[in-house]
Amino acid sequence: MKTSIVGIGQTEFSTNSGRSELKLALEAILSALDDAGLEVNDIDGLVRYTWDNTSEAAIVNALGLPSLKYYGETEFGGVNCCGAIAQASAAIQAGLASCVVFYRALNARSGVRFGRGERVLSEDGDALISHQPEPPGDIYSAPFGLLVPGQHHALYAQSYKGHYGLSDERFTEMLGSVAVTQRRYANNNPRALMKDRSLTMDDYKNARVISEPLRIFDYCLETDGAMAIVLVSQERARSMSAKAVDVLSASQYIFPGSVPMYLYAKDTYSLAPPEAGEVLFGRAGLKPSDIDVAMVYDATSMMVPLALEDFGFIGRGEAADFLISGQNGPNGSLPVNTHGGLLSEGYFHGLNSIAEGVRQLRGESSNQMKADTVFMTLRGASSMIMGRA
Amino acid sequence: MNIKPAKQFLEQPYWQHLAKGKLFLNSCNDCGSSHHPPSPICPKCRSFNTGWKEASGKATLNSFTVVRHAVHPHLEQDVPYIVTLVDLEEGVRLVSGIPAGMEVDLKVGMALECKVIQKDEDFALPYFVPVDADKA
Repeated sequence: MKTSIVGIGQTEFSTNSGRSELKLALEAILSALDDAGLEVNDIDGLVRYTWDNTSEAAIVNALGLPSLKYYGETEFGGVNCCGAIAQASAAIQAGLASCVVFYRALNARSGVRFGRGERVLSEDGDALISHQPEPPGDIYSAPFGLLVPGQHHALYAQSYKGHYGLSDERFTEMLGSVAVTQRRYANNNPRALMKDRSLTMDDYKNARVISEPLRIFDYCLETDGAMAIVLVSQERARSMSAKAVDVLSASQYIFPGSVPMYLYAKDTYSLAPPEAGEVLFGRAGLKPSDIDVAMVYDATSMMVPLALEDFGFIGRGEAADFLISGQNGPNGSLPVNTHGGLLSEGYFHGLNSIAEGVRQLRGESSNQMKADTVFMTLRGASSMIMGRA
Repeated sequence: MNIKPAKQFLEQPYWQHLAKGKLFLNSCNDCGSSHHPPSPICPKCRSFNTGWKEASGKATLNSFTVVRHAVHPHLEQDVPYIVTLVDLEEGVRLVSGIPAGMEVDLKVGMALECKVIQKDEDFALPYFVPVDADKA
């Protein structure tokens, strides 16, 4: 790709924002433009998720945008985060727009909660009714009580544990390393919802089981807020700001059974198509060992071992060794989710993880690593590499 | 647990067969392969000539979870309950579960067999239970 991220902006993360999603989106967009040193009228492209409640038209009307030349949506609400970056980049490279803003706004805690069955079922007397042909909570899975993404993740986790024959203890320590390590990063991150809450391995092991084998600390935080990311061409970025971060590669994936929720995918202990890593790294002319820091879309902790294996950072079945020995930590071979991740900073549908990648490359992270190249993935749905071209 | 598909879905062949106590799979009349969820075209040979074939009922356990946290107030009395993913002999994956109250020791890869359980007069579900569960 020949594009760069020149601005990142956000509202605070909270459990009750006290304002509309539109207002949150506008605040984040203005904050990102300020970070980029651009004016509102510079925006000529918008991208968002299909699941976002705030339409492009609502943004155009609210800001009085005079000359929007391109807008587009990518499917879903979070896992296609890097797909939205790819779409914005493609629009810029094709000359359809020159300055594209990717935004996401949601009151995911004070509004409709992704972790609740009420989102997908209606009530009819004593009965609950599913009206939708597709998961989560669809007609084929809802009657068995499979209703929310956190339960699907428990199925991937059990599949992985069974496939590699991991003992309860080893499996618990593997995921515990993700939760505890990321909480330590968050404790040092002023933006993190969990900044002031410590988490030890004993706390993790003794925590309430939500859906076996996952505990409460394996889950991300339903969060209110908004974020925005500003992209321009690499050429324009060079004349704007030394803080620009280049998009070296971005991909998105769908394969038979991967949507919806991998329920019908061939494997449930691996969530990316076999060629995903090769395509992504090939486009950037890089290999996994070139990556300094990884951002993984950790809707649950289980996504970290799966992503590390799916994209070739480690071999199949090696995640337990890698994570239990702390290789995801600040002194490890591949620090992962240095903002605390969706588990401990906030669940911001991946945009906060892209923003942390940008901060690492700018040298502005509160857990700064030596970072020249950053990898980002969202399960097996989309991925990207950021650095300097 | 009392969660049902909306009425218009129960009129479809998949649910109609289940309501009569049988698990039928959407299958291709040309190449013979089965698919789920049902689709207007065969994903193997791309024929529109599809129909319905009774499943053997033999499957292996792909994964499972014991749900302990009720995600809806109506489910408070149902937890813990078990959700499973099962791989049928016909090469088809289904979401299933273990009937409430059945004691089982589940292991990924174990053999299972189908047990269609009537929930009410027009609605039944395909559960998959360990092969020796009824004998134990």
